[in-house]
Amino acid sequence: MSETRQIIVTRGLKKTYSDGTIPVQAVRGVDLIIEKGEFSTIVGPSGSGKTTLLNLISGLDRPTEGEVYLNGRLLSNLTGKELSDFRRDHIGFIFQAYNLIPVLTVEENIEYIMLLQGISREERHRRVLDILQKVGLSGLENRKPPQLSGGQQQRVAIARAMVSQPSLILADEPTANLDSETGEELLDLMIHLNKITGMTFLFSTHDKMVMEKARRIIILKDGKIAADERK
Amino acid sequence: MIWIKLAWRNIFRNKRRTYIAGTAIGLGLASLIFTDALVIGMEKNMIHSATLSYMGEGQIHRQDYRQTQDPELTIHNLPVIIENLRQEKIVKAYSVRAMSMGMISSPADVQAVNIVGIDPQLEKDVSQLDEAIQRGSFFADENPRNLLLGSKLAEILAVDIGDRVVITVARIQSGELAQEMFRVSGIYHFNIPEMDQGMVFIQLKHAQEMLGLGEQAHEIAIQFTETRFGIDKNLQFWKQYSENGNVAESWTVIMPQMEAVLELTQFSTLMIGLILFGVVALGIINTLFMSIHERMFEFGVLRAVGTRPWSVARLLLLEAASLALISIVLGNILGLASTYLVGQIGLDYTGIEFSGITFRELIYPELQLIQFIKYPLWVFLCTIISGFYPAIYAARMSPANSLRKSM
Repeated sequence: MSETRQIIVTRGLKKTYSDGTIPVQAVRGVDLIIEKGEFSTIVGPSGSGKTTLLNLISGLDRPTEGEVYLNGRLLSNLTGKELSDFRRDHIGFIFQAYNLIPVLTVEENIEYIMLLQGISREERHRRVLDILQKVGLSGLENRKPPQLSGGQQQRVAIARAMVSQPSLILADEPTANLDSETGEELLDLMIHLNKITGMTFLFSTHDKMVMEKARRIIILKDGKIAADERK
Repeated sequence: MIWIKLAWRNIFRNKRRTYIAGTAIGLGLASLIFTDALVIGMEKNMIHSATLSYMGEGQIHRQDYRQTQDPELTIHNLPVIIENLRQEKIVKAYSVRAMSMGMISSPADVQAVNIVGIDPQLEKDVSQLDEAIQRGSFFADENPRNLLLGSKLAEILAVDIGDRVVITVARIQSGELAQEMFRVSGIYHFNIPEMDQGMVFIQLKHAQEMLGLGEQAHEIAIQFTETRFGIDKNLQFWKQYSENGNVAESWTVIMPQMEAVLELTQFSTLMIGLILFGVVALGIINTLFMSIHERMFEFGVLRAVGTRPWSVARLLLLEAASLALISIVLGNILGLASTYLVGQIGLDYTGIEFSGITFRELIYPELQLIQFIKYPLWVFLCTIISGFYPAIYAARMSPANSLRKSM
């Protein structure tokens, strides 16, 4: 696999939290390469370091040791403002609890990142309608999140993550708050979007269904990669 | 635009908290407006009480007369000055007075007093001596032997209307004693001890005769057409009439303690303002921090999706500004309503002495347009400045920490 196919590269990644009196090593030396277009999942028991690893990969947190390259950029070289801009342009996030902004409508939530990017109003509106159609929510653009079901809110979150056309989608337990039927539906939707857009998806999950459908499973144990299986 | 929309909607996510905080800040603003209006009303009342009761808004004397009270120091060119004062557009009224220390005696007692000769017709327009008459009348007839004295002095001398008293003064050039009998025609009550006990009034011409002054006098008290002229130290009037050995002075110079009292009241307003702004600042900080902690995940999401730290701070500042706008609307309405209502009724402090000045009229808080511009602007700025602390806190929050529970 050539260097340019690699979207995520981590080398000797470590993260130690020292908020309390005893330092906690959440990630203990992770070397990982994720290639463009992959549909991968990080699995592991609670406290295995999945969330910390996703935070380090996305630049939401800084490693104690080691390096993270995203699209060839070394994240530790970026300032806070540069990291914000980098995340805005390269990463889409899907959270377990949807985390839409409740005071904004579906359309406003989806177009938020595009607003930050300075995309014109017409283009934003066009893309919002397009992505809403793709996630099956056409006609709901003026509703506010509390007026939607959990599954619909997660679809909006997927739309928000994808609408700015990032190269990487990071999803933390995206199906955990959904019933199995809605979860499977959304997972199929993301697999479909992965196929048609070529965007890279990286999940953290406990959900067996996600593990079954993922093309690569990275098993994390005590902050280290215990296994890395490709299907 | 999205930031304004987001801030405005965020403010109403917890309506009860916003209304409570807005009302608290609004009440602070209303208190400031009311206090300022009350202080203005009180100042005007004090100035009125001090200047309208007797002193006037300005006085003309011979140089050094005020300091020495030497009866020989009479005003130079009195007829010319009087003629000029008649022509002055800013002068509403003037009163010519001849004065000397002397003695008043009754069968019961003797008292040293300031004997003042006045022209009743002129005096009526300058002072409130005629309105302060408790018993008898204010020189109702031309009888040159009529005399007015204060209620306290009448009590000491045990005299009443119609009783006879004897006035003794020294003639100015010879120093010979002149003694004449008068009849008490009026008893006044100003509730000012110096006036109620220490002054008697007789007709100007009679005083001039007794003192051997001829047509001369010691004091001209002036009322201007507008209060502001009396306060304006740079008014050309003072210079114009401070010539030929005479000196024209504003009440602020004659009564410096009054100016000090006014400064004190202004300082009190400032202190009240500072305390209120302290409360407003703490209210804002508390409200914004509560809001931040409630929306911790949301800030994490905003940061995660690419919102710059400064944009998060700006959002918080806009929320503070939105809260300020709500508070200002509430505060202005409350301030206007409370001041207007009290302004209709008036506060009754009549007869109460404050720093040597006795309130003689009801105090009416005075509304001014500037109160609804200046204080709201202060509240707005105070809110924004207070908002910086929580805004910077929110901007510096680590997105990972904010999201820890969710991602």
